[in-house]
Amino acid sequence: MSAVADFVQARETIASNRRAMFRRLRGYVLRNWRSYLLGIAATVVYVGFFALFPKTVQWAIEALIAGVRGPDLWGACGLVAAVTLARASARFFSRVTIFNAAREIEYQLRNDLFAHLQRLPQSFYFTWRTGDLMSRAVNDLTAVRLMLGVGLLQVAQTPFMIVSAVGMMLWIDPELTVWVLAPLPIFIGIARLFGRAMHSTNLAVQVGLADMSNHLQESVSGISVVKAYAMEETTDRKFGELTQNLYERWMHAVRIQAGMPAITGLLPNIGMLMLFVVGGGKMMAGELSVGEFFAFFLFNIELTMPLFFIGWMFNLIQRGTASMQRIDEVLNVEPSIADRPDMLDVRELHGEIEFKGLSFEYPGPDARGAALSDIELRIPAGSVVGIVGPVGSGKTTLASLIPRLYEVEDGSLFLDGNDVNRIPLGTLRTSIAVVPQDSFLFSMSLADNVAYGLPETDPAHVLAAADRAQLGKDVVELPEGYETLVGERGVMLSGGQRQRAALARALALDPKILILDDTLSAVDAETEAAIQEGLSAVFEGRTVIVVASRVSTVRDADLIVVIDEGRIVERGRHDELAASNGLYARLARDQDAEKTREGGIAAVGGGE
Amino acid sequence: MSASASPPKSSLDALLEEEEDLGKAIDRALLTRLWQWISPYTGRMVLTLVMAVPMFFSQITPTWIVMTGLDQHIVPVLADQGIIEQSPRSDLDLPFLEPLLTPPSGFPVLWWLGGLMVFGYVLFAGLQYLQTLVMVSTGQSAMRDLRREVFAHIQKLHLGFFDTYPVGRLVTRATSDVEHLAEMFSAGLVLLITDLMKMVGFAAVLFWVDPYLAMWTFVVVPPLALAMVVFRFKVREAFRATRVLIARINATIQETVTGMKVVQLFAREERNQREFERLNGAHKDAWLKSIWYDSALFSVVDVGAGVIAALVISQATESVTAGTIFFFLRIMGMFFMPLRDLSQKYSVMQSAMSSLERILQLLDTDPEIQDPPEPWARHVGQPGGTRVRGEVTFENVWFAYNDEEWVLRDVSFRVAPGEKVAFVGATGAGKTTIINLLTRLYEVKRGRILLDGVDIREIPQRELRGRVGMVLQDVFLFTGTIEDNLRLGRSDIDEEGIRRAASAVEADRFINNLPHGYATEIHERGTNFSAGQRQLLSFARALAHGADVLVLDEATSSIDTETEALVQHGIHVLMEGKTSLVIAHRLSTIEDVDCIYVLAKGQLVEHGSHRELLAHAGVYARLHALQYSGEGAAALAAGR
Repeated sequence: MSAVADFVQARETIASNRRAMFRRLRGYVLRNWRSYLLGIAATVVYVGFFALFPKTVQWAIEALIAGVRGPDLWGACGLVAAVTLARASARFFSRVTIFNAAREIEYQLRNDLFAHLQRLPQSFYFTWRTGDLMSRAVNDLTAVRLMLGVGLLQVAQTPFMIVSAVGMMLWIDPELTVWVLAPLPIFIGIARLFGRAMHSTNLAVQVGLADMSNHLQESVSGISVVKAYAMEETTDRKFGELTQNLYERWMHAVRIQAGMPAITGLLPNIGMLMLFVVGGGKMMAGELSVGEFFAFFLFNIELTMPLFFIGWMFNLIQRGTASMQRIDEVLNVEPSIADRPDMLDVRELHGEIEFKGLSFEYPGPDARGAALSDIELRIPAGSVVGIVGPVGSGKTTLASLIPRLYEVEDGSLFLDGNDVNRIPLGTLRTSIAVVPQDSFLFSMSLADNVAYGLPETDPAHVLAAADRAQLGKDVVELPEGYETLVGERGVMLSGGQRQRAALARALALDPKILILDDTLSAVDAETEAAIQEGLSAVFEGRTVIVVASRVSTVRDADLIVVIDEGRIVERGRHDELAASNGLYARLARDQDAEKTREGGIAAVGGGE
Repeated sequence: MSASASPPKSSLDALLEEEEDLGKAIDRALLTRLWQWISPYTGRMVLTLVMAVPMFFSQITPTWIVMTGLDQHIVPVLADQGIIEQSPRSDLDLPFLEPLLTPPSGFPVLWWLGGLMVFGYVLFAGLQYLQTLVMVSTGQSAMRDLRREVFAHIQKLHLGFFDTYPVGRLVTRATSDVEHLAEMFSAGLVLLITDLMKMVGFAAVLFWVDPYLAMWTFVVVPPLALAMVVFRFKVREAFRATRVLIARINATIQETVTGMKVVQLFAREERNQREFERLNGAHKDAWLKSIWYDSALFSVVDVGAGVIAALVISQATESVTAGTIFFFLRIMGMFFMPLRDLSQKYSVMQSAMSSLERILQLLDTDPEIQDPPEPWARHVGQPGGTRVRGEVTFENVWFAYNDEEWVLRDVSFRVAPGEKVAFVGATGAGKTTIINLLTRLYEVKRGRILLDGVDIREIPQRELRGRVGMVLQDVFLFTGTIEDNLRLGRSDIDEEGIRRAASAVEADRFINNLPHGYATEIHERGTNFSAGQRQLLSFARALAHGADVLVLDEATSSIDTETEALVQHGIHVLMEGKTSLVIAHRLSTIEDVDCIYVLAKGQLVEHGSHRELLAHAGVYARLHALQYSGEGAAALAAGR
């Protein structure tokens, strides 16, 4: 019973989704209504001349057959040329306007999608995978554009072309028309069978190709194991088998594909055959003029393309609407973190932070209960607070809530006494700088990365920030200094270099609140000490939150908060906490022993 | 066709790379080298060219028949009836076709000729089918062979190469680059030639049928052809721009989505949006340009057909018949087809050439580490010869990954058979390099490494790596079952051997708990196994392969306490009775080895047993003491 109800409900959701999708689509189309209107008008003109052309040839031929020659024939021929020119111009105009409109919509839709993605909160990116979003932004957008361009053009012209051409043929000779078009259903049947066979063999080729490239990718990624265990011959043999397999799949597919040109040529050729045999007989019987024969010949050729397009047209529209629905799904997600109507007019922050009984749970289907519970914490402006705790205890989550990366309930987090949800996002994010754990850099120059949060890249500013983050000495080693392209498509920086670049990026903002999220974990002890020394100057006049897994990092903090399983379990200064026999003291003992070894060995080895 | 399996990132990159460097369509130096792959298929290519001749004749057959039918049978009847006044042409009679074109008595002539049309079309379609089949199979065979060659070469390259060459790019070489090259066989070179042959053929036939009309027709052809070719190339150009731009757009979206947290934290949305809209706008503009030329092209083709029809009719002389006009209209339609596809074939050639260049660059990369030229005839590992006893000697070994940045400086040591030694030192001190050199994944720059007194460069790599077992820090698991991953293609290791190895290192406990035991499939490189389990698998792997010398790079990744005990046990089992070299990241695990070598900045600074080194009161002793004094470590770390 409930399954049926679910099904009905699911059907209803799909139907309402479709309605919403069409509403959005209509909005885009209406924004470009002028182009579409012009394009469709041009299409109508085109179809008119399209149907007229064979008739003009017929008239010229009839004159020719009647013995007209020389300048007397030029009038009829001039008409042929004129209709041709008019037809071509109308076609040009209709294609350009409709395709341009489709491109315009693609442009607008892509801009809107990008803007929307930038507005969506982090919790959205928790549940949506990048690959999925990419496929919507790339493949689905293309499908929508095809529907609005070629698809729409074909919808506007194909039925008219077929109707007008067939109408003209019927007008000339209904019986011959039937003969010429009689093989059409057979042809459509063959083409469909053919298409199906081609689809399945193509699929098989894709599978073979995927197998082959997976093996390739894996062998290259695991090349050290391949070499260490002398597996080259085995992998070579396997690769040989896979390429052979792919070859066979290809050949199987080609055996069908190679027939494609023959099939496409079949339709006009069968029509020609019928025209010649039946039409020729009619001509001899005096029932069809030579001119009409020529008109039929031209109609037969011109009908081929529209007939091919019919199936394709439906396919385009089907795929286009399905894709638009997938894009619509993303656009329909409400950007839950945005400036609110009851926003306060706050232009800058001083740096006081207060958590009032804050609890937090990650959204999404696989949430694992509360990530933070009952957090009560007041951080005075200008103080340095360390947050420590085991992996997964909620340290990073706590820090991420301050710049409002995730939604918190009203009345649980205050900055300078104002509810974080009512502070303008612009103020919030330019006054708070975070150095995230993964120190993601973009594919742009190092200077642009450091100046990422600034309105523009100012060299003096970049230099100062880089210096304070101890990045300067690394820059010297880069091929083009600060202009070196970094990020995924640029020079590979070491983990430590990336972290220092991310630190410089944060410092360039000159923030009131600085959040270091386990920032220096990939830096060796020597550099960490140097950075920390430089940082103490930077800390001046800012509220600093240091999230750390190493206890040594937060030793000098004004306040250390220890978090375990989402709750604050201890708080105090280093000496107090180390003396008490709690979690902090235990972490400190464990890590000291570990660090001794690392630090000691690094010392002997001379660092890196 | 692109590899659907590769991640979008790398395919976007590949697209960018491939679109941004397109060179000449025909490069003679490259073509000369291409010959080695073409030469096995010359026969087939000649066959394709030869087939073009009967294809040409069968293609014009139906049109020829309609012309003959109109002029010889239909028009005379109409003339007899007085509907039109024209005498049939006889100058085009081909005596040898006469018997064929005449139906047996009593058979309606149009049906007979219709039958011949069907025959002509079937012949043409059949030949076309065969030609496609031959060309594609040639392309695919060439592709398969080339792919194997590229793959085999990739595997021969020394490990240092892979440090600088991204995996995605290598995959592109062997997939889409090879495909582009193969496309040249199936859609490029040969078709280009046959198309030109066809066009010449069409022109010749038209001139033969009616030189005067043909002359007039070919007055219009050059400007039309020029316009078509120019527009096509303009479309290509604009289209290429759109491809580069869309690749950039998609890369930007991908990067922004990946780094969205940073984007939002630094309130960069507006500036990003502006930059994105500029890029998106450039993409749109490139498209509008492409649409313009593309539509113009369509219209030129349209105009061409009409203008030629008008011209042919208007220039008709008294002798021109309906059949002639029909023939001209139809054949001119066919004449323009290859012209329209010309630019497509050109771009196939172009991308084939740039792919070829990249493939050759890869194939020309020196593998650097090669097996000795003369057959391996030493005593080691030979049937009946002495087996490796397991003595490892480093003699004044120097090594650098990059020129002159020495990672190892003048390192010498000797490990006696069955001895266990450990290497300690900071990251970058050169510990891991010792393993890479001993297994000859990298080549020493100076000095030499001996295995039982034989320079390892004189031992075939397969032999060497069979004798020296490696347990690497990063445990790489391949797609396949657990058993496959333990066997790694060695057919001489039986199931029993695998199980024995797994149970010796106590990996069998967790394996047996898996739903399919040893037949459990490993997914996504084994991410479904914990670090400790992966370690155990790699131990079992090394044990099953039964090496005499064992090199072990201790894992640094944290392992839970319970598994840690298993791992420690596994290490002991593994080292039993073997010469073992351990790269230690934790001092506590190596106290009982025979000798500890301390590396600093690529040099051996101390060596001896744990106790000796402690007594020596040097670097090691200091390190060891530091373990039990947090204060000291902090002082040391900060004081430097």
